[in-house]
Amino acid sequence: MYKASSHIKVTQIFSESIDNLNLSKRRSILALLGIIVGSSSIIALLTIGGNAADEAVRIFKNMGTDILVVGFPYSHQNRQPLPSTLDSQALRKAVPGISQIAPITLHSAQLSHNGQNTDASLVGTTQGLADAIGLKFNAGRDLSRYDHRETFAVVGARVAKDLGSLGNPLRVGDLIRIDNYLFNVIGIAESLPATPLIPIVLDESILIPIEGMKRLRPAPEITGIIIKADEADLAALAEVLNSYLTQTFNGREVDVQIPQQLLDGLRHQASTFSYLLAALGGISLLVGGVGVMNVMLMSVAERKREIGIRMALGARQRDIRTLFLLEAVNLSIVGAIAGALLGVAIAFSFTHFSGWEFTLSIMALPLGVGCSLLTGIFFGLYPAISASKLQPAEALRAE
Amino acid sequence: MIISLDGITYSHRTGEQELCVLKDVTLDIMRGQSCAIVGSSGSGKSTLLNILGLLSRPDSGEFHFVGYDMCSASSDVLASIRNQEIGFVFQSFNLLSRLTALDNVALPLSYRGFSRNKARQHALDHLKQVGLEDRVTHLPSELSGGQCQRVAIARALVGNPSLILADEPTGNLDSQTATEILDILLALNREQSVTLIVVTHDIAMANHFDRKLEIRQGKMHEVAVARDDKHV
Ligand SMILES: Nc1ncnc2c1ncn2[C@@H]1O[C@H](COP(=O)(O)OP(=O)(O)OP(=O)(O)O)[C@@H](O)[C@H]1O
Ligand SMILES: [Mg+2]
Repeated sequence: MYKASSHIKVTQIFSESIDNLNLSKRRSILALLGIIVGSSSIIALLTIGGNAADEAVRIFKNMGTDILVVGFPYSHQNRQPLPSTLDSQALRKAVPGISQIAPITLHSAQLSHNGQNTDASLVGTTQGLADAIGLKFNAGRDLSRYDHRETFAVVGARVAKDLGSLGNPLRVGDLIRIDNYLFNVIGIAESLPATPLIPIVLDESILIPIEGMKRLRPAPEITGIIIKADEADLAALAEVLNSYLTQTFNGREVDVQIPQQLLDGLRHQASTFSYLLAALGGISLLVGGVGVMNVMLMSVAERKREIGIRMALGARQRDIRTLFLLEAVNLSIVGAIAGALLGVAIAFSFTHFSGWEFTLSIMALPLGVGCSLLTGIFFGLYPAISASKLQPAEALRAE
Repeated sequence: MIISLDGITYSHRTGEQELCVLKDVTLDIMRGQSCAIVGSSGSGKSTLLNILGLLSRPDSGEFHFVGYDMCSASSDVLASIRNQEIGFVFQSFNLLSRLTALDNVALPLSYRGFSRNKARQHALDHLKQVGLEDRVTHLPSELSGGQCQRVAIARALVGNPSLILADEPTGNLDSQTATEILDILLALNREQSVTLIVVTHDIAMANHFDRKLEIRQGKMHEVAVARDDKHV
């Protein structure tokens, strides 16, 4: 067997592959673009998706995880009318482990004050709601148990802003007209972000004593109950609540939601969303990969003669293959790095303008960069192999 | 014996058509000989040189290079032999246009595992031998045809080959430069006893070689060299 000396080092091929890229910049940039778009979208989308999920969960967590929300789904079988309010004392006695109870009835209304009009959701409730959902007051106070006969109102932040005017903001003690009744403002709430758990958007609401709802709406029915628990086992509490309320409301269907279910649902939804986005990024990467393949095939076709010369000078098939593969990989490394920077920048500005907290998700960077590299290798492999399979004499004849 | 061909055949295939170029080539070449290959255009000189240079494989026949069977050798072995034993000089120079003269010459050594610096050092020595030490950093496009061919000769020599194959090395050069290039090649053959095989159209040039081989109808014919006008 003929004894060969040692062969070219991969580091040497690597430095040549870099030289070659430098020398065909314009074409390289074209392929880069695809890779950059692909990897940056994967990274940006995953990061944004992750941050969106975090944000939702965070808002939700602020509300406390000790809340139960009771709803009464409409059913055809049992259309028992619901009472207009709830005997909180009786419920508290029957179901131990409750710290706050707030029944709510939900309507909408047009409000006017001092020539300013606005729409709001009209929420009939009792004291305990503010405490249960963590509502704070800019001015004034919450509804109290002695208010049930009064035309008192607690105003949500957005509603208060709409009803006030420049230099004359809404104050405690002001009168607001709802239909034909004047309500006395006893409290103005701080802004409270909406959450999927609580069925009311507080900023858009005006709270009045639930007993007073009869004045404004014919035959009001309670739409839900918000309960703050004293004990840790919410699932058990929910079960007891369910059976008690079903009994109390003549067999109406009762749905008790606990935060964990919603949290899980939300997380699931958020992660589905980010995987969808990642798939989208994957598709862009695929397009980028086809771009790399195209550029590399062009490069191989254009450099046939060079391949022939290198072979004549002693390059083995694997040396040629490595050279072209490394060129494709270099392209994807540069693309992946540029894409990573771009993707993080996009994600950062998106979360910044959404007012979210920005955290770089652990998976996003390695996933984005790794996918780009794999794309480069995968799509660079075919051109590289086809280059290495050229017959030296034929390659040398090429123009 | 460096080269031994026995009953070599080769056909070019283009689609359906098959063109039989070499029908039965039998040839032995000793180490240190200089041979001119002549023949009319299209007779198969380049085809034969590609086979001798291990750039294409014959269809049938036996081919031994420095005693090794080339027909059964793997393509990696062929690449190693091209790298270590053979230097090529082409009519159209075939320098890599993006590399400097120095890096072009250093290229064969890098395929032998030399570090870049060491390869460049050797390359510089060989560029000096062909009188181009002041053109080291030039790109091929910045060199004249004769200079390019001298770079190519330096590249062919840098790996200390035992055989130099040249396909019409002076075909693109004016007659004065052609003579210079030929002198370099013949001097190599004389002084370093490198085996030299040159394809040429030039009958006068062919007479400077030890042997003159003519391809006619796909066969090899030894022709007597007209000794009287050989250089001294
Ligand atoms: N790749 C190829 N495909 C098909 N036919 C080819 C190919 N290469 C050469 N031929 C044919 O083979 C024959 C021999 O070609 P070759 O190049 O060996 O001739 P040559 O003796 O070198 O001629 P010249 O002196 O013009 O260079 C020619 O008829 C040519 O047309
Ligand atoms: Mg020819």
